[in-house]
Amino acid sequence: MLQLKGLQKKVGNFELKNINLDIHEGEYFIIVGPTGAGKTVLLELIAGMYQPDAGEIWFDNTEIGKLFPEQRNVGFVYQDYALFPHLTVKENIMFGLKVRGVGTGESKKRFNDIVSFLRIEYMLDRFPSTLSGGEKQRTALARALVTLPRILLLDEPLSALDPQIKRGFQEELRRIHEATKTTTLHITHDFAEAMTLGDRVGVLHEGKIVQVGKPADIFRRPNSYFVADFVGVENIFRGESKGRTVEIAPEIRIRTTYPKDGPVVLTLRSEDIIISREKLDSSAQNNFQGQIVEINDQRPLCRVTVDIGIEIVALVTTQTVEDFNFKLGDKVWLAFKSAAVHVL
Amino acid sequence: MGKGRVEGQNIIFISIVAVAIAFIVGFIILAISMILVRGTPNILSSVATREIQFAIKLSFSTSIISTILCILVAVPVAYGMSRLNFVGKRFATTVLDIPIALPPIVSGVALLLLFGTTSFGHALAAWGLEFVFTPLGIVLAQFFVNVPYMIKVLKSSIDDIDPRMEFVARTLGCTRLQSFVRITLPLVRNGLVAGIIITWARALGEFGAALMLAGATRLKTETLPVSLFLNMSVGDLELAMAAATILIIVSVGSLFIFEIMGGHRFEISRYGA
Repeated sequence: MLQLKGLQKKVGNFELKNINLDIHEGEYFIIVGPTGAGKTVLLELIAGMYQPDAGEIWFDNTEIGKLFPEQRNVGFVYQDYALFPHLTVKENIMFGLKVRGVGTGESKKRFNDIVSFLRIEYMLDRFPSTLSGGEKQRTALARALVTLPRILLLDEPLSALDPQIKRGFQEELRRIHEATKTTTLHITHDFAEAMTLGDRVGVLHEGKIVQVGKPADIFRRPNSYFVADFVGVENIFRGESKGRTVEIAPEIRIRTTYPKDGPVVLTLRSEDIIISREKLDSSAQNNFQGQIVEINDQRPLCRVTVDIGIEIVALVTTQTVEDFNFKLGDKVWLAFKSAAVHVL
Repeated sequence: MGKGRVEGQNIIFISIVAVAIAFIVGFIILAISMILVRGTPNILSSVATREIQFAIKLSFSTSIISTILCILVAVPVAYGMSRLNFVGKRFATTVLDIPIALPPIVSGVALLLLFGTTSFGHALAAWGLEFVFTPLGIVLAQFFVNVPYMIKVLKSSIDDIDPRMEFVARTLGCTRLQSFVRITLPLVRNGLVAGIIITWARALGEFGAALMLAGATRLKTETLPVSLFLNMSVGDLELAMAAATILIIVSVGSLFIFEIMGGHRFEISRYGA
């Protein structure tokens, strides 16, 4: 539905280099990347604040890269919502309908629908300066959605909210998307947000989309050191691969299922590791003995760092740590399957 | 340094600052009150004279007209200088500041030469737009001297408005003009009002440029400042002080409103160089 082809743009310190992306009709697509990666510039390009330096933006079968913002029919919600401060909530929401000259009956119906769907009837006569973060967000969403945009562009919509209410608004965004089926492009620096909300995710790094896929796939199979680190894989090692074995430290060899020769990056999710007192008699092909150097309890889960010649982080339940009475300095065994090891 | 010496030095420094402030505030009040003391007792009888009435009418009408012209020109110019990027923008910025830097009397001479000696000026005069030694010249002189101030105040107000606000309005279907009229203009209302007041007050007090272009003819191009000048030179202190008092009241009043409207942010001097 939205296609970006070889998009390039330099604005100040931000640079997008050769962005290629295909977003499907009705999809909730999330672009995730660290702060300063140029995510907002990408949204502003799609919405028409800038003209691309090179490349094309297609909506279905029309190239829109040179159209004015008012000709593109996109909905835009900024991180700080950019509500019109001199207009009430109602006037903010009606704004797009008025300038587009939507008829009174149709306007009224769309307005009432969105207002009751977002449950904001109670605040229609208030001015933006009196609203909480969540109320501002719902107003900004209503203002954008009421114009029935072809695509909804969300610029870090949750990052200005308190952590306590963030979760509720994630569900709200999901609910809105399921009800309206509006194609949505949402950008964030928070991979957890992308995991929860996105149908698909694109990872933006240094002005390029470095990986696109379902969130679980990116989480399980990051295709680069950067993505692995960014999505929060705790065990990332550089090593030398020989056949199905990777040496990540002197005498520390890890078995994998990918035959490969040469330098590799190896990732291992901490929840795929089992800790025990005795060597486990299991099908796991990787067994190492080491010493506990750190226990970081974040109930109900606990991160245990074990030095086996190189430090490996294992994620176990706090219950397990208590049952086995693991303490700093204890000698323990780590076990994980070769299939849990991902080689880049 | 001992504690006593530090304390002594601080006390001396603060005392000097306090005396300096008291001196300059007192000085200004004293100077202005000299006029008010002489002008206020006779103000009613002076205002009743034909000459002062003429000066008040001419001052108010020319300053109101020139202020309206300033608004019409400054609004689009300030928008462009704030929001658009174009070739020659830095050059334009510098040029727009020239009338602010010039002594008004020099601006007046420049206008006199343009409208009095060139075929362009003669052509305009043939069309009925006679600026030299006419009230129309007063309007033009006020406009020329003041429009850069109006642009500066407005541009600074527009700069303060987040451009993303206009951009969001455009994604909602506004053209550039619509987003300017519906979003930016209402948001710069205070700046606009402050600009109008300061421009009008400056126009009312404009002397140098108008003197050169329109001259100082009694009961023809006699504005309040000109009336003050003419009556001082012939020694009619009563009328001169009345004109001065009216000018002071208008100036202080508009300065007061300007400050309420947040004008202090624009950091401009009221009477320029």
